[in-house]
Amino acid sequence: MGIADSLSRLINVALFASSLRMTTPVLYATLGGIFSAEAGVLNVGLEGLMIVGAFFAIVGSVTFGSAWAGLLVAVLACVILSFLFAAVHLEWGADEMIVGLALNVLGYGLTTYLLLVMFNVAGYYSSDTIVGFELIRIPLVHDLPLVGEILSGQFALVYLAFLSVAVTYFFLYRTPWGFWLRSVGESPEAAEAVGINLRLMKYTGVLVGGAFCGAGGAFLSLAHLNLFSEGMTAGRGFLALAAVNFGERKPLKCMVAALIFGFTDALAIRLQRFGLPSQVVLMLPYIATVVILTLSAIQGIAAQRARLAAKG
Amino acid sequence: MNRHTDTEVGTETTQVQRMLPAIVLQLMNYVLILLLALAIGALIIASSGKDPLTAYAALFHGAFGSRMAVANTLDRSTVMILAGLAAVFAFSTSVRNLGIEGQLYAGAFVAAWVGFGIQALPAPLHIALAFVLSAVAGAAWSLVPILLRTRWGVDEIVPSLMFNYIAIHFTAYLVAFPFKSDTTILPGTDPINATAKLPRLMRGSPLNVGFALALVLVFVVYWFLFRTKQGYELRMVGMNPRFAAYAGLPVKRSALMGMLLSGAMAGIGGASLILGFFGRFITQFSQGYGWDGIVISLLAKNNPIAVIPAALFYAGLANGSLEMQSATQVPITLVSTIKGVIMFLVTAQFFLRYLSKRYPQWA
Repeated sequence: MGIADSLSRLINVALFASSLRMTTPVLYATLGGIFSAEAGVLNVGLEGLMIVGAFFAIVGSVTFGSAWAGLLVAVLACVILSFLFAAVHLEWGADEMIVGLALNVLGYGLTTYLLLVMFNVAGYYSSDTIVGFELIRIPLVHDLPLVGEILSGQFALVYLAFLSVAVTYFFLYRTPWGFWLRSVGESPEAAEAVGINLRLMKYTGVLVGGAFCGAGGAFLSLAHLNLFSEGMTAGRGFLALAAVNFGERKPLKCMVAALIFGFTDALAIRLQRFGLPSQVVLMLPYIATVVILTLSAIQGIAAQRARLAAKG
Repeated sequence: MNRHTDTEVGTETTQVQRMLPAIVLQLMNYVLILLLALAIGALIIASSGKDPLTAYAALFHGAFGSRMAVANTLDRSTVMILAGLAAVFAFSTSVRNLGIEGQLYAGAFVAAWVGFGIQALPAPLHIALAFVLSAVAGAAWSLVPILLRTRWGVDEIVPSLMFNYIAIHFTAYLVAFPFKSDTTILPGTDPINATAKLPRLMRGSPLNVGFALALVLVFVVYWFLFRTKQGYELRMVGMNPRFAAYAGLPVKRSALMGMLLSGAMAGIGGASLILGFFGRFITQFSQGYGWDGIVISLLAKNNPIAVIPAALFYAGLANGSLEMQSATQVPITLVSTIKGVIMFLVTAQFFLRYLSKRYPQWA
């Protein structure tokens, strides 16, 4: 009785609903990472881009009085920053990993500085003038049992995130642009030999990637809480990087990884109510990443061995 | 015999002649990057309605303006030198250790634990033990990411990043529960015993023996990397892993060693702050020193000796920003932005390409 009762309090419909919500920001950044990685540019600055997105979403929302305008400003800010990233890397040969780390340092520094200068506060900013996103009730789905509770009543950006996975998949695997982009990441020499504009593709990948990070940041600050706080991305950009890594840049597999992180997050928050220390909770997704990466690597090697053995 | 010596001397001079302009070019490159970063910072300051020149004057004064300021900057540079050496070890063996920050935490916590946990040990022994165990802790914290690479071919970037967060949250857990202390309102451990405290070098300044230790380690690392066979192997593997493998050098072992030494340096860096400055472990004690270390090693072009000026520069920025904030109300976080710009440009050929065109005889 006691255990069953606890379990049903722990694992229920609301858990899955909040999993989707927790997955969303990571999923956006993951898509951003996919675009960049497919174009052959490793972007370890997803975290920094996201925090910039979260901040400028607030700026846009306060200035224009609309959450969607906030999203747009966030995306714009991240695209500009990604352009700088791409330019120093592609035009002046800067190391992509170092510039990515620079994005993280810059993103954190710039947002905490601007927080002080623009809103005159330190730590966090929340105000009634911030217009956040509204929850959406999907007419028919809402009345379905269980599924309705999970799928309906989420933020528009949640639906958009999962829709973006489908769009990304379609773009990468069903359009010529997607094919060009992937070929640049896979084999730049071959791509260049058949006349694909390497530079253009890399810019495209990095900039589109930045746009997605902006959306992820906007979700953090304009959905649910309507506030910006220093370092509020809390490593989600790095988790996204891990998801891209684990999912081998394949949109669906990466989405599964992001969902695992979202679920871990949501579950961990609930476990806190059962007395699990918050520090342990915060640690879990990172441990999960290391474990998942290890297991998939071991599995990959085992598969390779099996192939070799089969060949004789 | 005589001729032989002549040719040797001859090659040496040409080598110096060849090296020197490259160094000058590199320095000019850095000066330009620095000026650009400061100019961008100045624009940001000006856009908030303050005077950039007074702000920068206060920054410089706070960093190097008095004997005390210099001592404090030297003190601040201690952990940065050690984090820089950690990055030098990693990058010169082509291990991308992005987990230096976490390794600092591991070393710091263990140093504190040894510091308050062990009683009645003579001071030099107590300090030595704390440093040795913190080096072990830092190395241990880097072990999983590098084993993932050497045994299963997993790129070390993501795992080493993950271990930063694991370290930060895990130590936060430790001080919240098993090591909870009633002696501090900050989440931290008990204070370390007097025997574990690093002796101060100057009255009124936190400058301590840790700084001297960092300097000694700089030369030890230089000697190791550039004057021993082991170090030479590590650098060869770092420069061209494929060629090294072809030449029969132990590539995996070198990567493992580079990472472990990197982690050990980071661990010592964390310990230096605990034993020399804070006197106990405190959560969030590191203000991104691990990341600073990466840029410092880049600025130093992986040369341990050059780590010293690079770290002093970064320490000056950090300390000067405090006075800048109190004197001109320009927030210290401006420095993070400047640091971000420097990091953005440090590996770019931005000015270098222009300079080599302008001075082809030097390039």
